[in-house]
Amino acid sequence: MTTATPARTSSVPARTTLAALTGLEARLLVREWAPMLFAFVFPPMMMLVLAGVFANDGGAAYGGADATDYYIAAYLGVPLAALALMGLPTALAGYRERGVLRRFEASGLSLTAVVCAQALVTAGLIVLAAGLVLAVAAPVYGLPELHDPVGVALGFALGTAAMLSLGVVLGLLARTARSAQALGLLVFLPMWLLGGGGPPPSVMTDVMQQIAGALPMTHVTDVVRDAWLGTGEIGRPLALTAVWLVVGLVLCAWLLRRRPDRV
Amino acid sequence: MEPTTLSRPARQTDEPGALAHDDGAAPPPSPAVIEVRGLRKSYGQQAVLRGIDLTVRRGEIFALLGLNGAGKTSAVETVQGLRRADAGDIRVLGLDPHRQRRRLRSVVGAQLQSSSLPERLRVGEALRTFARLAGDVVDWRELQDVWGLTTLRRTAFGALSGGERQRLFIALALVNDPRVVFLDELTQGLDPTARRETWELVRRVRDRGATVVLVSHSMEEVEHLADRVAVLHEGRIVACDTPARLVTRADGSVRTCFTLPAAAGRVRLDHLPGVDAVTRAGPAVEVVGDGTTPLLVAAELVRAGILPDDLTVRRPSLEDVFVRLVQRTTSGEVAA
Repeated sequence: MTTATPARTSSVPARTTLAALTGLEARLLVREWAPMLFAFVFPPMMMLVLAGVFANDGGAAYGGADATDYYIAAYLGVPLAALALMGLPTALAGYRERGVLRRFEASGLSLTAVVCAQALVTAGLIVLAAGLVLAVAAPVYGLPELHDPVGVALGFALGTAAMLSLGVVLGLLARTARSAQALGLLVFLPMWLLGGGGPPPSVMTDVMQQIAGALPMTHVTDVVRDAWLGTGEIGRPLALTAVWLVVGLVLCAWLLRRRPDRV
Repeated sequence: MEPTTLSRPARQTDEPGALAHDDGAAPPPSPAVIEVRGLRKSYGQQAVLRGIDLTVRRGEIFALLGLNGAGKTSAVETVQGLRRADAGDIRVLGLDPHRQRRRLRSVVGAQLQSSSLPERLRVGEALRTFARLAGDVVDWRELQDVWGLTTLRRTAFGALSGGERQRLFIALALVNDPRVVFLDELTQGLDPTARRETWELVRRVRDRGATVVLVSHSMEEVEHLADRVAVLHEGRIVACDTPARLVTRADGSVRTCFTLPAAAGRVRLDHLPGVDAVTRAGPAVEVVGDGTTPLLVAAELVRAGILPDDLTVRRPSLEDVFVRLVQRTTSGEVAA
């Protein structure tokens, strides 16, 4: 078979690609921040309301903690779920829907690189949004004493990774931005209500507790809250969060390897 | 294995990929950059490509022409490795597009039919980023300048006109200094001025040394741009040659029309060599014949002292040939 000159090889390191893409995604996000508004406003707002309403409660129902402290610590995890399960899948599916992923792929950028860049940017946003929860809580209620900073950091990092992997799965499954939004909301709402942002587990029915126990968000909230307030052992919820991370990564790898015929 | 052999009128050029020489000698064929054998592709039960054979040679503008839904985009995207072939053998610059996708991506550029960029991404930013991701093998500022994008460098993609977007897409397709460029329905939706500007840009891409594979359903575009054209219909290549030879091969009928001046006497034209038919409707005359007929008719009229001032010659267009090929193929007469 006659062919022209042999091809040269691409020599762009994967790290350079990821850094360039992440920088690009971050800049674009700064210009189009409106869709992320919910993830930044909703958690501090709900935290203010719930911590205020149940200010006089506390004790056994809240794992021995003050209700205000309980909700401040619990709401660190809510922006995590909102951004990972709603923002990330919508952005990813929107790229697919509008042909941006195809444009990237035609330029030699793998879907994995685009996914990783979006996940990294979302991780940065999660840190900012969680910081905003604390910044709003501090002058109003004061921050609860931090018992186990390493546990909080570990739980937050592992939880972020787990939720991001699940968000990527949703984004790869949804064909359009609207379906990703609907899917994300469907997943986020029970996680928020039963996984730490709503009533404490002790006032839930058995069925609700069983459902809550099956949700990854519950374990993430448990780790962060218990490590912060010193209200419980974090080993089990940390392990369960790690299991969800593995599940999410396996699903991501399968979906990315499956590589749709047309991205 | 080409559906038809390559034979193109001389184009004066010093390019190594030139298709013919102006000294009249038979040129050695340029090396093939794309070779496709027996390419098949289906979506579910629907067969879109039913065994395509193609060879694209270095330095040419090769067009894939077909109706909407003929399988053009599937063919070129499979050749680029953006879709998986069900069967067949594909080599682009000697690389397997599926197994060696990464290597292939570094030497091909693509403007896809239905792709986009983030709405807020600015022109300069897009060029800078994509150039960086391609290894900075070209100066993106120069590319920006060459493609008339410098004044738009701070404009967001979402605010660009159709023509500006296409210019950006072509520029992005060149950030890796590709050897083969795929352009899919490049001028769809553009106004006539923007379309002609874009054609000029495509010629410039070829002049920079790249081989261009053009996907189009516009006969005018293919006639203007393509060195060779393959007609794709119902998943098969039904003809492949230069536009001029396709027209000549398919139907040589040339119509010469004129109106006899009032004082003109009778003139006999049906005896002229190559004339198939002469039709008269009052003073209006139409002569159907081969490619030499207009000259012979004109000479005969001059000889008879008749000088009509409205003589026109209508040669069959690529569109005529295309419609005929499609009709023949649809009715079961495989043309090529």
